[in-house]
Amino acid sequence: MSEDNREVLLKVEHLSMYFGKGNFVKKAVNDVSFDIKKGEVFGLVGESGCGKTTTGRTIIRLYDATSGSVYFKGQRIVAGIGSYVSELKALRAERKTADPARQAKIDERVTELRAEIAKAKHDHKHAKKDLVTKIQMIYQDPISSLDPRMTVKEIIAEGLKIQGVRDKKLIEQKVFEMLETVGLVAEHATRYPHEFSGGQRQRIGIARAIIMNPEMIIADEPISALDVSIRAQVINLLNDLCKKMGLTILFIAHDLSVVKYFSDRIGVMYYGNMVELADSDELFRHPLHPYTRSLLSAIPLPDPETEKNRTRIRYNPLTDHEYTTEEPEFREVLPGHFVRCTEKEFEQYKKQVAES
Amino acid sequence: MAEEKKLEVKDLRISFTTANGKVQAVRDISFDLYKGETLAIVGESGSGKSVTSRAIMGILAGNAIKEGGKILYGDKDLMKTSEDEFHRIRGDKIAMVFQDPLSSLNPIMRVGQQLTEAMLLKNKTSRRESKVAMNRLFKALDENMTAAGVADAKTDLEKFKKFGIRHSKLESEYTAALDYAKQAQAEAESVIIHIENKAVDKLSQDITDFCQAAKKSVSHFVVRDRAAELEALLGDIKSKTAEAKKSKDYSAVLEDFKKAKSILDEAVSFDAPNTFTLGYYLTFDEDKIPDMPVAELNELTHDKTENEFMNPFMRRAEKGVRYSSEKTDAARREAISILKAELPVFEKAEPDRKECEAAAKKMKAAVIKCLDPLEVIKDSETHTFESSIDYAVDLYFGGFKKNAKEEKRFTKATEKHEKASRGGKTPDWEVIPASYINLEAAHQDMVDTVKDMIAHFEAQIEANKNADFAQRTLDIVDNLKEQEQNSVYRITKSVAREKAIKLMESVGIDEPRRRFRQYPFEFSGGMRQRIVIAIALTANPDILICDEPTTALDVTIQAQILELINNLKRERDLSVIFITHDLGVVANMADRIAVMYAGKIVEYGTAADIFYDPAHPYTWALLSSVPDLDTKEKLQSIPGTPPNMIYPPKGDAFADRNVNALVIDFEMQPPMFKISDTHYAATWLLHPDAPKIERPKIITERIERMQKKRGETK
Repeated sequence: MSEDNREVLLKVEHLSMYFGKGNFVKKAVNDVSFDIKKGEVFGLVGESGCGKTTTGRTIIRLYDATSGSVYFKGQRIVAGIGSYVSELKALRAERKTADPARQAKIDERVTELRAEIAKAKHDHKHAKKDLVTKIQMIYQDPISSLDPRMTVKEIIAEGLKIQGVRDKKLIEQKVFEMLETVGLVAEHATRYPHEFSGGQRQRIGIARAIIMNPEMIIADEPISALDVSIRAQVINLLNDLCKKMGLTILFIAHDLSVVKYFSDRIGVMYYGNMVELADSDELFRHPLHPYTRSLLSAIPLPDPETEKNRTRIRYNPLTDHEYTTEEPEFREVLPGHFVRCTEKEFEQYKKQVAES
Repeated sequence: MAEEKKLEVKDLRISFTTANGKVQAVRDISFDLYKGETLAIVGESGSGKSVTSRAIMGILAGNAIKEGGKILYGDKDLMKTSEDEFHRIRGDKIAMVFQDPLSSLNPIMRVGQQLTEAMLLKNKTSRRESKVAMNRLFKALDENMTAAGVADAKTDLEKFKKFGIRHSKLESEYTAALDYAKQAQAEAESVIIHIENKAVDKLSQDITDFCQAAKKSVSHFVVRDRAAELEALLGDIKSKTAEAKKSKDYSAVLEDFKKAKSILDEAVSFDAPNTFTLGYYLTFDEDKIPDMPVAELNELTHDKTENEFMNPFMRRAEKGVRYSSEKTDAARREAISILKAELPVFEKAEPDRKECEAAAKKMKAAVIKCLDPLEVIKDSETHTFESSIDYAVDLYFGGFKKNAKEEKRFTKATEKHEKASRGGKTPDWEVIPASYINLEAAHQDMVDTVKDMIAHFEAQIEANKNADFAQRTLDIVDNLKEQEQNSVYRITKSVAREKAIKLMESVGIDEPRRRFRQYPFEFSGGMRQRIVIAIALTANPDILICDEPTTALDVTIQAQILELINNLKRERDLSVIFITHDLGVVANMADRIAVMYAGKIVEYGTAADIFYDPAHPYTWALLSSVPDLDTKEKLQSIPGTPPNMIYPPKGDAFADRNVNALVIDFEMQPPMFKISDTHYAATWLLHPDAPKIERPKIITERIERMQKKRGETK
């Protein structure tokens, strides 16, 4: 594919985000890796609580990652030290009982790790601010994500002000421009959020995101709180912006038909793990992981005949996999099509793809 | 479909008074809901779908004006039911699942308590009510049978009552044991899977659950012969589990579980005993269950009951039913003559209040006599006549009163309207008259109420001419059986707890036992919604209204919940009103679909009609704004916003947003055109003189694609 030559804009490497401590660790995101190319729409799907929102928020540094890193245009913007620290601890424990030769090796590794940790901490702290502003987020709930005591103009211009723009005329001009881009009119600028309908509020949220002239937008379920007729408006708007401004979008949603319509590639998450990653057409043509199959079988379609005969595939991780002997890994079954599986499943999936 | 109508909505009109004037939320909608079907109401927010559902539940906001119409449910008209009476219906007979789960849960009550509360409270009243209903039916049967010349009707009925109660007890014992067996079977299966996959973290609780359920499943008809074997196994499992808990190695109990499961598998597949005839046998023959295979036992008791009691009893009861029906028919004929005689009083151009009230009183007295005491399906028209006529009379004469606020609004609106027309524009909205009801319509309502009653009586008399009285008697006996069962069915706290946990499991909540003791805020949004659905279902309602229950949930959960509602519908013959804006969801659930826009039903038909042959431009717009898996082209969004219902549009409400609107769409409201027996749509496009306008390409292509796909699978 020619698209593979495009520049990688965002690279997520072994990202993990754990909540809680000690015995009550909740692994919201566990060792997730993917990259997003420039100008691409990357869809992230999964049931509620599977960690898709946490992934988005960790990328934009609303949470401090436990381990793993995120590179934006080659620069490290998120760096977690969790994996280094746990390795360090293990090495220290080992050192107590190891023979001298091994001890020397361990010492060597420990210094390496310390350097890594220092570097990660440095990177994390000094990730360029303007780099982070190049990534903007659109939130799920257009009502709670807009300050009710600010006018639309103040909401949209807030980012610019924080960035140090003081020229009132310039701000006004930019705000009006943005309002127009998202299909609102200049008069709306002096109103308050409660005066707008749900679809219009979501448009304000989009305007706020794009005024910073971002290269990438993380859209966290931007349409699930909206009415059907408005959904189409917002999807069309995002689509237009994508083309016009050359935006790259990380689209987080659970509505699969919309994700399919909108995204170039789709990643499927289940309980903090990325279980399958492929081109959107490829994913729907050859869903390999049983969870993906179950997810696809649950999509409601506007067709009563097929709907009434539909059998939903149930996914039970205990019976569908044999993970007792071997830990699953993320493997590439076809070029660009990754599945989390064991060696045995890998062979089976390969055969399955070859047959169909 | 000659099915039982559960709910009938007729010409419903509801408005709201607001600071800016009167908003017409629901304008003249009618639909029926049959037993065991799902009716989907689809539309944008603000189209009046939620208002309709709230009117059915009797929870309209304080500023709502019920302008007219009826909602018939059983023997009540829900538009005129008092708050006290509604307490018996709401949640119990008609349950509702709201869109926002947080607002329907009590934050300071544990989830388990909220789940069981209704069950425990309801059980008490439903036992009492069933008893009353049963006794009333027995009494009516007795009176009518005696009047029809059946000797000793009383002894017959006493006998029936006595063994009926015995039967109910047997039945509930049997179903309870069977339920426990099924539960234990499922637990055993899950434990085996867990052990085989070495996922043993929380296994000891599961094993305890299994032991409890398995122990309770032992009964005469369920585990029977192998009871001793099972009990031995349970003891074994218990002692081994205690050891395994320490060592985390459960492989020792695996074999025991497999054996126990095979026993339960067998137990579940046993023949079901005929508890009804067995009840007779035990009451009048021998007070001990004879030791023979279930099939033989069934045959023996069945023959005995039929020959000795049921057949002669049915013949005699039928006489009573026939007598009662004839008596009622006579009363109906008399009532018709009275209604016809009094009708001119209402039909006068300017009716007099006193005269009307006197006439209404006479009518009510005549109509109330026309109730058949032996009816099984309640005759809602006759029951609600009293409230309907009172309401219609009050509304009409009350309408003459002046309302200062409305007068003021009227003058203001008229001025605005005139100003606009002076400016050379023709305003596309109408001025709503000052009197807050339409007097002409109210007058017509009054006359129609009486005329409808006459027509209804005539239809009933006609229907009774060739009625199947044997079938009717059978229905009555079935009803008696059900009431008897309900009057002895006792729910204790522990039973309620078990039921609630089972319900939580069936709506897909993990670890229900632990979750049972948690508070609502400890749940995520999707989980809360499941709890709400579970609560709505605990009361075992007749009608379930779901107001966008899955809008906030993701696909897998949505599919699970829809499946759950579908299963429950099938099991309990539940009627469901499903309100949503997502047409994909509707395709799966609905038998019939009503598309609502601006307070009116614009299209009405079966699911196939709406999806394969949509007729109204609004339905087209809705269908083309959702992508399906093969959509590639740009989506068509609906331009503009719904009209402001303070100034209702003169013509078709959708005309403004319709690209293909005709001139007449702006001027006149389209009537409902009939497309087929099941399919209706209100659009001028269906008028014979209308120009031919094609459906949008996106829809025609999708329909073709769907048909092709189906052709392939067949």
